[in-house]
Amino acid sequence: MIWVTWRQHRAQAIAMLALLALFGIYGIAIGLWMRSAFNADGLPACLARSGGTDCGPAIASFFSRFSRGASVPLNVLPLIIPGFLGAVVGAPLLGAELERGTWQLAWSQTVPRGRWLAAKLGLVIGGLVVFGAAISAILTWARGPLDEVSIRLQPPPFSYEGIQLPCSLLCAFGLALLAGLLLRNTIAAMVVGYIAWEFPFLAATLLTGPFQFMETTVRIPCTGAACTAASTNSTPPVTGHLGDFVTSVTRSGNELIVTYLPAGRFWPLQFVVGGMYLAIAVAAIGTAVWLLHRRTT
Amino acid sequence: MTHSRSVPALAADGVGKRYGHVWGLRDCTFSVPAGSVVGLVGPNGAGKTTLLALTVGLLAPTEGEISVFGSPSRANTADTLARVSYLAQDHPLYRGFTVADMFRFGRSLNPGWDSGLAEARMATLGIPLRRKVKALSGGQQAQVALTMALAKRAPVLALDEPVASLDPLARLDFMRDVLAASAETGLTVIIASHVIAELERLCDWLIVLAGGRLQLAGAVDDLLARHAVLTVPRRTPDGDVPGTTIDRADSERHSTLLVAADPDLVAAAASQPGWAHEPVGFEQLVLAYLRRPPVTLAAVSLNQGGRAGTAGTAVRS
Repeated sequence: MIWVTWRQHRAQAIAMLALLALFGIYGIAIGLWMRSAFNADGLPACLARSGGTDCGPAIASFFSRFSRGASVPLNVLPLIIPGFLGAVVGAPLLGAELERGTWQLAWSQTVPRGRWLAAKLGLVIGGLVVFGAAISAILTWARGPLDEVSIRLQPPPFSYEGIQLPCSLLCAFGLALLAGLLLRNTIAAMVVGYIAWEFPFLAATLLTGPFQFMETTVRIPCTGAACTAASTNSTPPVTGHLGDFVTSVTRSGNELIVTYLPAGRFWPLQFVVGGMYLAIAVAAIGTAVWLLHRRTT
Repeated sequence: MTHSRSVPALAADGVGKRYGHVWGLRDCTFSVPAGSVVGLVGPNGAGKTTLLALTVGLLAPTEGEISVFGSPSRANTADTLARVSYLAQDHPLYRGFTVADMFRFGRSLNPGWDSGLAEARMATLGIPLRRKVKALSGGQQAQVALTMALAKRAPVLALDEPVASLDPLARLDFMRDVLAASAETGLTVIIASHVIAELERLCDWLIVLAGGRLQLAGAVDDLLARHAVLTVPRRTPDGDVPGTTIDRADSERHSTLLVAADPDLVAAAASQPGWAHEPVGFEQLVLAYLRRPPVTLAAVSLNQGGRAGTAGTAVRS
């Protein structure tokens, strides 16, 4: 079964390894460039001295280098990759077998269907998780200096650091797998799987709404200009702590009412969003396994 | 794998398969001894593919049980799967695989895989192992699929329309290979086909399906002995003829009837003036049963509990 799975997914595996290599080269180049710029802007010394509160101009200068040009793929590509690759790998696993009638060949050899499916799912899911984790590791390392002074809780990089990437890949994989079983057509299953994946992806990326339960509200005393100039996107944030994700600031007399996600909630929130992706993946794969079992018994 | 001769190679006991509301196969009971070559005949949608898929374990019966050498196919274990080789209709193969890849697939998934047989057959047929499946002609693809079924070395070989895409010479060669395998290793073969002349050469057992119902099942010699063609005066009603009338053709002077009846009764009846009888041919017998509306037959001899009405409705094969 290992050879069979490898042979059937060989082209995908090679394409993904090539993609991983490209990301590796790109990530190392960006990472090294970022590190030299970080030092050139004097940020390590400034951060050590003030914890970030006095480093506004230096941070702004550092940001401006990485907001466009060569670093754009860093923010854009990881948003497309999980849905696209998950759908491309998941759709044919059952869809192509049903579309071409080869399921009759695959399930009439001396390997029971259950074992056939378990072996395929195990190996392919394992490959996807390793791939997702590797891409995530490369990007997280490359963005290291940027993450020290920016908000990791914002969609990029939140959607590809931590455990998001492998979970999101599996979500798209599971949805496309199920679509392949239902539609019996590989291309249609890829499209449907990708579109279905957009829903949890958009929920996790665009809407801060779902995560309001993790927000905290504080009242911060202010005086004069600090009161009038306060905004959600100042650097460092009005909370005075680098990495806090401020979602609203309102003024009440000599106080600012600030609602924000503390930087320390990065990991809890990663598990919430990753768990949502995984729950969808498990539900979709479980449904596919159950339908397949029911179809033939 | 050796099996006792007393255990039937294939045994169906009241097998039925329902697709949604429609029965694709119903009330199917027969028992085929090991080493038989079984012809499975029926119009499109008769349930032939359903019966084969149930035998392999690709489908599970809605009711009843189908067993291969005593083990129910529905179990779908490595042990039951090892007993049946299956060549599906349209001989599916992985188009992007080379022939060698297909054989490695077979070797990886079947403990009994016979690499020597597979490669020797490709050499004889002149099909290069390194060629991709999609670059082969339809006939060559059929040969690769058939070779995979043979190389699995299962004691039962189930073939669904195996010769449909072969040229006449390849058909003859294929039939010869199947007969040789059957004679050498005691292989039991079940072949669904529309080509009755070819089945006549191959088969010593016959199953006729129509409308999802079993019309006829038995050893060919036995069936031929139990049927006869009677020529009788034109006005003779069916009731005056021995046995069951399967098919009837009336001409100006007399009628020709194909009857299922005891040979002694037929001989006795044929001694009347103006009556004559002759043995029935294989093709004649099959065509008579195919021509017969399945509903009628179900009502006459196979109906159990007034379910004849469902037999005539459209079914999937």
